[in-house]
Amino acid sequence: MKRKVSLFIPCFVDQLLPQVAVDTVKVLRRLGYGVDYPEDQTCCGQPAFNTGYWDEARPCAEHFVRVFKHADVVVCPSGSCATMVRTFYADLLASSSLRADALALASRTFEFSEFLVRVEAVTQVGATFPHTVTYHASCHGLRELKLRDEPLQLLRQVNGLTLIEMVRSEECCGFGGTFAAKFPDISGAMGNSKAENVAATGAEFVTAIDPSCLLHLEGILGKRQAPTRTIHLASILAHESRTNEAQKDESLPQEGP
Amino acid sequence: MVQTKEAQTEKAHVENASRDGILQQIRAGLRTAVPEPAAIGSEHVIFEPIIFEPISNPLERFQQECVSNLMECALTADCAASARQLSEVLQPLPEGEIFVQDDPSLRRLVEMMTELAASTRAIRWSSEGAPAEAAQATVTLAEALIAQTGSILVTSACGGRGASVIAPCHIVYATTAQLVPDLATALGRVSQERIFDSNSFACVISGSSRTADIEKILVQGAHGPRRLVVILQTGS
Amino acid sequence: MSTAAQRFLQDAAVKSADLMHREVIRRGMDSYDAAHLKGRARIKDWEAARQKCQEIKREAINHLDRYLLQFEEKVIARGGHVYWAANSEEACSYVKNLAARFGVRTVVKSKSMVTEEIHLSPALEQAGIKVWETDLGEFIVQLRNEPPYHIVTPAMHLNRGQIAQLFREKLDPAIASDDPRDLMAVARRKLREAFFAAEMGISGANFLVADAGVIAISTNEGNGRLCTSLPRIHVVVTGIEKVIPRLEDLAVLWPVLATSGTGQGITTYGTLIGGPRRAGEVDGAEEFHVVLVDNGRSQLLADAEQREVLHCIRCGACLNICPVFRHVGGHTYGTTYPGPIGSVLTPHLNGIKEFKHLSYASSLCGACTSVCPVKINLHHHLLQNRRNATEAGATKSSERMMFRAWRSAMLHPRIYALGGWSMRKALRILYGLGLAGSILDPMRVWNRYRSPVPLPSESFRAIWRKDRKQDRRKNLGAN
Repeated sequence: MKRKVSLFIPCFVDQLLPQVAVDTVKVLRRLGYGVDYPEDQTCCGQPAFNTGYWDEARPCAEHFVRVFKHADVVVCPSGSCATMVRTFYADLLASSSLRADALALASRTFEFSEFLVRVEAVTQVGATFPHTVTYHASCHGLRELKLRDEPLQLLRQVNGLTLIEMVRSEECCGFGGTFAAKFPDISGAMGNSKAENVAATGAEFVTAIDPSCLLHLEGILGKRQAPTRTIHLASILAHESRTNEAQKDESLPQEGP
Repeated sequence: MVQTKEAQTEKAHVENASRDGILQQIRAGLRTAVPEPAAIGSEHVIFEPIIFEPISNPLERFQQECVSNLMECALTADCAASARQLSEVLQPLPEGEIFVQDDPSLRRLVEMMTELAASTRAIRWSSEGAPAEAAQATVTLAEALIAQTGSILVTSACGGRGASVIAPCHIVYATTAQLVPDLATALGRVSQERIFDSNSFACVISGSSRTADIEKILVQGAHGPRRLVVILQTGS
Repeated sequence: MSTAAQRFLQDAAVKSADLMHREVIRRGMDSYDAAHLKGRARIKDWEAARQKCQEIKREAINHLDRYLLQFEEKVIARGGHVYWAANSEEACSYVKNLAARFGVRTVVKSKSMVTEEIHLSPALEQAGIKVWETDLGEFIVQLRNEPPYHIVTPAMHLNRGQIAQLFREKLDPAIASDDPRDLMAVARRKLREAFFAAEMGISGANFLVADAGVIAISTNEGNGRLCTSLPRIHVVVTGIEKVIPRLEDLAVLWPVLATSGTGQGITTYGTLIGGPRRAGEVDGAEEFHVVLVDNGRSQLLADAEQREVLHCIRCGACLNICPVFRHVGGHTYGTTYPGPIGSVLTPHLNGIKEFKHLSYASSLCGACTSVCPVKINLHHHLLQNRRNATEAGATKSSERMMFRAWRSAMLHPRIYALGGWSMRKALRILYGLGLAGSILDPMRVWNRYRSPVPLPSESFRAIWRKDRKQDRRKNLGAN
């Protein structure tokens, strides 16, 4: 068996998009990784941090560091949350007693596609998804983690998948967390611009490595009654061909031998 | 009474109450330690990175840049050809003064042109004053030509500041010996030759005046010349 | 919420919904994007160019006093004047006094953001002086009595029809064409009278070159050239942070500024002026005055995190790429400097309480940082501004309370899990009753623009725990 991976599941994925987490586990187990989910994890602290409430974010970050302290490697199906740990924990925990642990944890925390392609050099995950798909380049993954090609490498290896390029694929979808709450009109306008670009591709699905982008876009597309649906990269990679698919449900696959 | 340089400086400073305060604030601010930026991962870089592609053929590059700069560049073999070229440019221009930098080589060029051309145009030399508002064209030398950007470098000595901007057509008479490969070389020369010791003004001109302020559509010819013509002589 | 913040929210709401406005910006930005890519291709190593520009500005700012003094000494030695203005009032007074001393009735101005910042034109106009903006875009917005929309292309929000109509109303009712070339010709004829009549020309400066003691101005139209060649008095109004150490630094700064600003390899005119006209020169201003404006910049030096904001060369690339800018436009910001650099800088120049809202009006996408030619970490500075606002007690106490409650929940996994389950349950009930979007709906802001969020019956944690229980019963799994 390959190494054991500790899952970092963002709070809103846990609560609103559990399928993304289920599919992440599915892919990892299919590839032979052991998967652990530290149940005491809650939130990495990003919402408070991004809104400028660093004192409130700090204890959450410290809790996170303690929860994952003994993880060998941490994998997260969200570019923005992985970025929080990798890029911003150093600043946030600069004067914390857990600073050294945080830096060490940051160096072994990865976004999901980053882990597969960059760390494990895996691009073929045995997935089948016979649909047209367009890719939205989520900002944190793109600009903070410098993930430009890795998700695309994975998508190109998916059996039956047709990748259609979107114009301005790197333009922000407009979610931005608290930005959507404080400036809903701008957020909505940006989302609609992105939805227009998605529609122009004619693709059945739009995918990304950030579930927050997809949550926002699904809402925008839904309001527009657009035919395109959102799907997280992990969910595409979890898809197997109909002949092999045992069950298409929410339960977790069994762990490998 | 002529003030000494020191007295002038002193006087200026005394009349400017905030100067010391601002300097103090700057110095105080600079005492804050600022962390050195993280290395960009190029620990192995020993040589200065090459930012611009080196230029192997300056003349060719200059001509290419003239095209994209919407400049006209006419290669001529000698003075006679240059004079003919000048005549060709000036002849069709509307009635109006032609302003020319007063320099022996331009005097010679105009003389040759006058001999060649059937009609003469009213010439006003820079020694007589600045170009008139209604001047149809100006003719000047340049300090240098820059291949990298297709530019001409002019100074006050090239007929003054207005000579390269007032008239709708600016003609530069230059030789290929004046070509330098890039901006770095040109600016280096300006420094070395202490151009600003004897000129209050210099300008790197890379094309005709233009604007894209309306709908981002490029319009050639804004407030400055619509045409910039370089008569580039290869021979002496 | 400050009045500026309220106005911003209102204007942003209006502009976000204005699809015609969005289309105009998009066309302008598409044009810029194409040109910019071409411009980038002319530079062999763009990242090395950015690095070099960052180093040049860092060196300049980190020794600001030394380089400013070097610049000043050289200018004065040539008979020029250098005036250090602590704030807008001092800068405006100096120029007004100068104008009065020389009986100036007409001023021609080339584009300078600092003159906007200090509100110089209104100050001169109050003193009975006619001020002509001569940059075509600035001339247009001046006629419309509105501020510039963008720091590089002030009138990009207008189409040719609107500009033709404006010219008909303000300049000449006989204007028939709306072709940009013809409109430029109209402006040229009108402004030429002003160029030749004005007693004073006011310009900005893109760079102040310390070793040569010259100002450097990058322009395309030739109006900057005329403003600095024809009138008897030339006044340069510039920020103290514009200084660079050496003339040779322009070899990389000029192409980078042009590429980032408009996509050109270099602007048409790179003008260098070191003083008034010398004896024997054909023409040029007899009086040369450089007004160095502080207005809060020296204070920014003391900010260890944000000192680099002073590296900005005002290219406008961050505005061009910012998706927020692309949706609300330049006027919505209500500040001299819009876009990401404006959002970062304005709290420092004009106060954090009044202008902190701009730092929140961003999704922190980081596009600005990725294009900044001097590598200012713009989006991280926005984040820092948010933190600074909180630390300065400038945020709503209700918001702080909310995050304290959130923190408490997040420190206790069971409370977090229970809270999440309760919220989903409550929303399911609420939406089941058809109350989505109503006043009772905590997600009503979300639901204004989006269909409701999914509300699964089980969280992942619940699914995992169930799976673990099954595993333990089936004796499977290594955990």
